Amino acid sequence: MVKRKIAITLGIMCFLLTIALCVQIKTMDSASSTVSRTLSDNGLRDEVLKMKAKYDDASKELEQKEKELEKIRQAATQNDTTSEAKEKELKQNNMILGNIDVTGDGVEIVLADATVKNNLNPSLQIIHYDDLQLVVNELKNAGAEAIEINGQRLVNTSAITCEGNIIKINGERIGSPFYIKAIGSQSLLYGALTRAGSIIDWIKNDGNTAEVKKVDNITISKYVGTISHDYIKESK
Amino acid sequence: MIFIAILLGCLIGALIGINMPIISYTYSGYLAIAIIAALDSVFGGISSTLNKNFDLKVFVSGFFGNAILSILLTYLGQKLNVDIYLAAIVVFVGRMFNNLAIIRRYYLNKWTIDRQKNIKNNKKVQQKDIK
Repeated sequence: MVKRKIAITLGIMCFLLTIALCVQIKTMDSASSTVSRTLSDNGLRDEVLKMKAKYDDASKELEQKEKELEKIRQAATQNDTTSEAKEKELKQNNMILGNIDVTGDGVEIVLADATVKNNLNPSLQIIHYDDLQLVVNELKNAGAEAIEINGQRLVNTSAITCEGNIIKINGERIGSPFYIKAIGSQSLLYGALTRAGSIIDWIKNDGNTAEVKKVDNITISKYVGTISHDYIKESK
Repeated sequence: MIFIAILLGCLIGALIGINMPIISYTYSGYLAIAIIAALDSVFGGISSTLNKNFDLKVFVSGFFGNAILSILLTYLGQKLNVDIYLAAIVVFVGRMFNNLAIIRRYYLNKWTIDRQKNIKNNKKVQQKDIK
């Protein structure tokens, strides 16, 4: 009887131990997927991962604080019609600026590098930053009210830049495949993108993947970051 | 019996552990030191079972207590910029070797005694045959 008890306890302990062991091994495996051999590389990698964890923590905290602020604002404007109107105005402005998540009907575009490389010019078979710029331009021209590329909301300070073999939007790296979401008049957006000779046509002709489809109730996330206003002043 | 339980625990643990999500890299250092502490406790448990002085309360409290204490010490060391976890590793791994030595000696002893007995028996049988 005593021996059985001992066996069960030891079994449970080993069970916990192996779970922890497996989790640890998996974590270390995923952390060292980027190959680095020297000690200084490892140190740098540790630093980067720590910074990333810190960043994640900070952004979580920011989200929480924003929720708190929203609550306080609601409480403050509850019994007051003038401030209620102001609150509405504020929300609308934030929506246009890209400070809050928005939903609406629109289109979704998927752009991806060609999978079969058979062109003589391989440069044509990848999506470049200017392709994205042209698509965004087309969308804006067709009256898109909110645009997002791979989770990056396009606001009035957003830039789509080429950084060697990656593309940066809002300073964040993104890569193929690109999922572009846009809210606006579905028929206008769809028509602008699928007309003959449109940018989507060009991208397709080079052998890349380019698909456009109408999607109802798209959710576009808010812009993560701050829009600085150190130099602009109201002109008299 | 005990080894079957350990093997079963390890197998189920491995199966579940493989399907668990990974943890943040910052905490993996703490988990590593807790694993070393727990490993030491398990080896201690096995060796004390063989010596027949196994105490369940001591074992369970040691398992969790050592793990938590080593995590706390590692945290403190990080705050003070001293690698205290190195001390924990030295202690735990040293004890692990001790316990492994005890386990090894126990089975070595058992094996040699068994063999001597076998040899004696064989000799007796042979002598009988000769007679």
